[in-house]
Amino acid sequence: MSIIDLTSMAEPEGEQQDKINEILKTLKEDIPNDCYQCGKCTSGCEAFILLELEPHKVMALSKSGFIDELLNSDVIWTCVTCLKCKERCPQDLAPVDVIFALKNIAVASGKQIDTGISNMLQSVLGSGYIQQPKEVVDKDNKAVTRDSLGLPSLPAPKEIQKLQQVLMKAATETLG
Amino acid sequence: MDKIGLYLGCLIPTEQYAYEMALREVLPDLGIELVDVEGVACCGAPLRHINLSLTMYLSARNMAIFEKEGLDILAPCPYCHQALSEAKHVMENNPALKAKINSNLETEGLTYKGTIKHYHVLDLLHDVIGIDNIKEHVEEPLDANIAAHYGCHLIRPNDIPRPDDSENPQKLETLLKTIGAKSDYYKEKLDCCGAHIMVNESESALTKTGQKLQAVEEQGFDALTTLCPWGHRMFDAKQEDAAKVVGGSIDVPVLYYLQLLGIAMGKDQNTLGLTLNLSPTDKLSFIEEEI
Amino acid sequence: MVKIGVFICHCGTNIGGVVDIDELVEFSSRLDDVVFATDYKYMCSDPGARVIKEAIEEHELTRVVVTSCSPRMHEPTFQSVIEDAGLNRFCLEMANIREHCSWVHKDKKEEATQKAKELVAMAVRKSKTLEPLKSFQKEVVHDALVIGAGIAGIQASLDLAEAGKKVYLVEREPSIGGRMAQLDKTFPTLDCSSCILTPKMMDVARHPNIELLTYSEVTEVDGSVGDFDVKVKRKPAYVDWDKCNGCGECAQVCRMKGRVEDEFNEGLGKRSAIYVPFQQAVPLKYTIDPNKCLMLLSGRCGESPPCQDVCELGAIDYEQEEEMMELNVGSIIVATGYDMMDPNGMYEYGYDHSPDIITNLEFERLISSSGPTSGEIRRISDGEEVKSVSFILCVGSRDQDLQEYCCRIGCMSALKHAYLLRDHLGDEVDLNICYTDIRSFGKGYEEFYRRIRDGNTTLIRGRPSEINVEKDGSINFNVFDTMTQKLLQVNSDLVVLVPALVPRKDSGELSQILRISEGTDGFFLESHPKLKPADTATDGVFIAGCCQGPKDIPDAVAQASGAASKAMGIISREELESDPMIAWVDEDICVGCGVCIDVCPYSARELNEVTGIAEVDEILCTGCGGCIAACPSNACIHKNMTKQQILRMIDEVI
Ligand SMILES: Cc1cc2nc3c(=O)[nH]c(=O)nc-3n(C[C@H](O)[C@H](O)[C@H](O)COP(=O)(O)OP(=O)(O)OC[C@H]3O[C@@H](n4cnc5c(N)ncnc54)[C@H](O)[C@@H]3O)c2cc1C
Ligand code: SF4
Ligand code: SF4
Repeated sequence: MSIIDLTSMAEPEGEQQDKINEILKTLKEDIPNDCYQCGKCTSGCEAFILLELEPHKVMALSKSGFIDELLNSDVIWTCVTCLKCKERCPQDLAPVDVIFALKNIAVASGKQIDTGISNMLQSVLGSGYIQQPKEVVDKDNKAVTRDSLGLPSLPAPKEIQKLQQVLMKAATETLG
Repeated sequence: MDKIGLYLGCLIPTEQYAYEMALREVLPDLGIELVDVEGVACCGAPLRHINLSLTMYLSARNMAIFEKEGLDILAPCPYCHQALSEAKHVMENNPALKAKINSNLETEGLTYKGTIKHYHVLDLLHDVIGIDNIKEHVEEPLDANIAAHYGCHLIRPNDIPRPDDSENPQKLETLLKTIGAKSDYYKEKLDCCGAHIMVNESESALTKTGQKLQAVEEQGFDALTTLCPWGHRMFDAKQEDAAKVVGGSIDVPVLYYLQLLGIAMGKDQNTLGLTLNLSPTDKLSFIEEEI
Repeated sequence: MVKIGVFICHCGTNIGGVVDIDELVEFSSRLDDVVFATDYKYMCSDPGARVIKEAIEEHELTRVVVTSCSPRMHEPTFQSVIEDAGLNRFCLEMANIREHCSWVHKDKKEEATQKAKELVAMAVRKSKTLEPLKSFQKEVVHDALVIGAGIAGIQASLDLAEAGKKVYLVEREPSIGGRMAQLDKTFPTLDCSSCILTPKMMDVARHPNIELLTYSEVTEVDGSVGDFDVKVKRKPAYVDWDKCNGCGECAQVCRMKGRVEDEFNEGLGKRSAIYVPFQQAVPLKYTIDPNKCLMLLSGRCGESPPCQDVCELGAIDYEQEEEMMELNVGSIIVATGYDMMDPNGMYEYGYDHSPDIITNLEFERLISSSGPTSGEIRRISDGEEVKSVSFILCVGSRDQDLQEYCCRIGCMSALKHAYLLRDHLGDEVDLNICYTDIRSFGKGYEEFYRRIRDGNTTLIRGRPSEINVEKDGSINFNVFDTMTQKLLQVNSDLVVLVPALVPRKDSGELSQILRISEGTDGFFLESHPKLKPADTATDGVFIAGCCQGPKDIPDAVAQASGAASKAMGIISREELESDPMIAWVDEDICVGCGVCIDVCPYSARELNEVTGIAEVDEILCTGCGGCIAACPSNACIHKNMTKQQILRMIDEVI
């Protein structure tokens, strides 16, 4: 590599970059290289003011290959998926999908993730849904359930083990 | 169309019961027979953070099940609707991916062909049932100025088919006018409700919710309506929490559009799940005090 | 007996670096009837030409095959070379082993060499049956037509007229001047636009060699280079221009006064139904807008139409009708300019939500002393004082969903406007320019940019995601400045959007009439992006100004003069040599069905009443091949491109 980041001594990571691009290509999206840093995405990013997510910077770092610092940062987990960046990018790019790709890569490389998010996965693997029907309270603080409201029972996968197996398999496969 | 398969996803049938009740109550009267379909599961969207393959697989799987039943899909949750739309769109444009997903679907005895359509409540009402038809069912026009919140995933991104325009959606406003209500321009209507980061960054999420609600109040609306269970949960159930985070009190009645439609159709308000709305809906003149 | 020579060009390393030249020479020399084969580094150079000439003499060659680049560029070169050596120029065949071979198969040398061999073999096979053809002369019409009278059309017309040629200048609007007439000052020198344009407009009006046809449109073009037949539709102005002296009393009394949206002022002002677009209009003749005149719409205008009452010259004529005019010209210059993209294409920028969000062209009218506010800058919504103005660049330009290209004038227009605003409103006004890359590439442009940097303009390197219009009408937006890394909130009394420049709405129709092509961007396509910027695919038709692509005035004027001199090259000749590679009819086969007559776009086919055979007018035929494909009896033949010749070439490779 002919380039080194002197603040961290990091070098661009071609391999990580390929992984991002591979996911984007599956989705038939253009890769970050086309980004000309107009900043329109960050100007409208719903997560920026509160949580300092800068999609244009995510694009620049992905494009130049300094990807580890993104994978190690919490910032990629702050995207609210409002999709405004993808909607409005003049180069038809999708920072939100780059952020999703980065999260996928972080998970695959064993990075610690928020339990709220991992619980959803466990729940889907166990029952097919991110959560089970809840008892909720109404205006008068009375607890109600699907049953008490007269709603039919929740449809569920017939053979949950099979679904579990396929999901475990799909998770290890590269798309494409 | 008369029969449509109902695909509720995760959030509606596990806690947003009011939406489901209103759906089941109102749509049959407008000539739509809802069919519950066995064997479906999560649309996969919430797992996209973890692994895109899971999302694609689950979306394809659900569509394959409806395909087998020969039913088009009604997905009242924008998040589900978008996941299905995206999976369909990507598989159409990427045959290799479609083949790979199909080989996995085989394990569960399924195949995805891509022959059925899916709808959200917004386009089902506006484009399929039709404004004129709805108008005929209105018995008690609502007198209120109601802000419309679409939900990010319902209208974006425009490179896959969405039920309404991404920058200037108007169908929900039109539907509000159809039931006699007013719906002024709500400047923040395209903005995020915060739901997506509620699990890991709840304070920031609630700030979003609070700001949107404050804007509704400041602009003089009487209420806020949505067709999204995620948005509704934030605006309605989390309204008090949101008020605490942004400081001050917020007092905005929040209702699903289908609840409003049901009221305008003269339905027994008990059947529309109105007791489940935690926001101050009784501020509205057309809400019966004791249900 | 045929004796063929094969001449293989390396084109430096373009071909030589990929194709095995020695092998190709060896292969060629073994082909039937080839008596000589050789190679040279640059066959198109003088020494290369000598190689060919000497070989023709020495080996008494009767046919020459040059294997090099596309014939587009060098076919005429090699034709002249063999003609010099005494051969008929049509005894040349070229094989394109550069564009069709070495360039596209750079990484596959062996396969490229194999393909080159096949291309040479095909060319050699065809060359055997090439017929010597004779060009013939056709007379040239010395007049020219210019379509569109913006600065480019005006410049081209004046150049031709000064050179002594008669010019018909057709303009769609009631006045000439185009967009430049709408501008206030012009970058980078800040000359007043009308001060430099009006004299030119007057020159046009006065020039004895220019026949000005305003309020007119070209509807049909027939014929070919040197001799075009053109039909021009003259729209009724409902005013007898021979009588009208431009006094304007009529507009003063018009019942629609102040009620018709004024296009020249980009909708910022109002006019009457009878109007001139602007005061310096050329010709200064009034026109009635048929879509707004009460008389024309309903046959009634109060008791009696006031315009007619007030016009002492009796110029008003509600009965006037459209007229068709026929012109005969040798060459045509198209200079129809550009439109502005509708900013609603980028809905998030709120153009629809506030009258105070305007385009840069609207701004030109706002700041112009001849504009609707006489140059006074006030908020459009409520006439309040303007304390801050923001410019948003690249609205719809450099955009994959809208216009992919750069508008080339947006950056400079914003810098210019910032300068003028500071000048008009003083130090108090806040000026912000949101840019992505300032492109100040022209002469004197970077220097101008520095003047703005020196001043008090806030240059924000970023692009807002959306522009908000509050309930009270105030405007604000957030923009992330990628330089300071800060998200800025900008409150602005006036927002000026800088939208993309796009082709004229009807440019597709015009390109069909003229049989010229449009590029993927919709602008008219030049023959060669570098070397033939004013030529089109149709001989004798040239393009100038923004109809070929967005550009500034200096470039538009330069291209216009270029187009004029190209047109001169045709119309100043007495005769043109006509390409003999055209259609020919085998009289023994033709059954006179007439299919060819319908398909020929050049009206070059006619049925001979006596013989019953469809003949070819050799002057009109351009050799496009339409009739050859259409003829059901295979009686139409393309000279030196016959079916047999093509089949033999195919035989050679399969
Ligand atoms: C806001 C703004 C500011 C600018 N400022 C500057 C500046 O300061 N300096 C600078 O160098 N450049 C500037 N430009 C660029 C400048 O406007 C153009 O370079 C110039 O006007 C191009 O002239 P044109 O003759 O090619 O086209 P146009 O001016 O568009 O003229 C074309 C003419 O053809 C006519 N026409 C169109 N279609 C037909 C038809 N079918 N039949 C007959 N007639 C037809 C039109 O009516 C028009 O009169 C600016 C542009 C904009 C938008
Ligand atoms: S909007 Fe698109 S081009 Fe602009 S900085 Fe963001 S990703 Fe890059
Ligand atoms: S989708 Fe995420 S990154 Fe994109 S603008 Fe919204 S919050 Fe920001």
